[in-house]
Amino acid sequence: MKRSYYGVLCLCFVLLLNIFFTQKAIHAFYYQNYDATIIFAILNLVLFPAAVIIYQREKKV
Amino acid sequence: MEHDHHKDKTNENKTINKNNTVPFAEDNFTHNIKQLQERKLDRRGFMKTLVGAAGVFAVSTLPWGALAMRELSRDGEKQYAEKEIVKLDDVKVGEAVQFTYPSEHHTALLIRTGEQDVVAYQNACTHLLCPVFWDKGKEKLVCPCHHGFFDVTTGQPTAGPPQRPLPQITLTVKQGTVYATGVKRYET
Repeated sequence: MKRSYYGVLCLCFVLLLNIFFTQKAIHAFYYQNYDATIIFAILNLVLFPAAVIIYQREKKV
Repeated sequence: MEHDHHKDKTNENKTINKNNTVPFAEDNFTHNIKQLQERKLDRRGFMKTLVGAAGVFAVSTLPWGALAMRELSRDGEKQYAEKEIVKLDDVKVGEAVQFTYPSEHHTALLIRTGEQDVVAYQNACTHLLCPVFWDKGKEKLVCPCHHGFFDVTTGQPTAGPPQRPLPQITLTVKQGTVYATGVKRYET
């Protein structure tokens, strides 16, 4: 059966964003931009349920 | 018990079979799955791993967010205690002394760059927190770990991996003694 690799691609992109946001949050923290740190931390948190949703939709296609 | 006995008997028969394979006693079609030849990571397993990674990343940024919240909830500027560092006459021009400020765990360097000019920086390298040294010959602050260099008058990184300036410590000189009065905020 031919599988869809759309979910794999999407989750790889989520991982890329995770790395990006984590890096940005920590940099912003050391630069004392505390607002930006909180924004990036929240974005990183939001990505987890997004990843779960992508997995749920894509696991059986 | 009797059933088990029967099963054993059929298995025994199977091995005695002429072609040793057909027909199979079991009907669950698992006889062709070899545990050692299974794929270790299939598409779905890989997706699960990525979801797990997203969870780990989410949790790992939580403490940073919490620390940032704490910093934001503080009223006004951060207060620092004044601390005596050294007598100005005890440091020759072009020499440096090490001290700790604001706490014992924050090492810092005071450099006398001129007759009346003194600067001080927290000397944990902004790359990976190695201690930064004062290089008198080059007139630069040097991190020996990865050859990071910092400008002595501003604390800005001039070469190597560090991207962020060293946190500067504000100083006052009163009657020939140098006091640390605070750590400068980064200009945003």
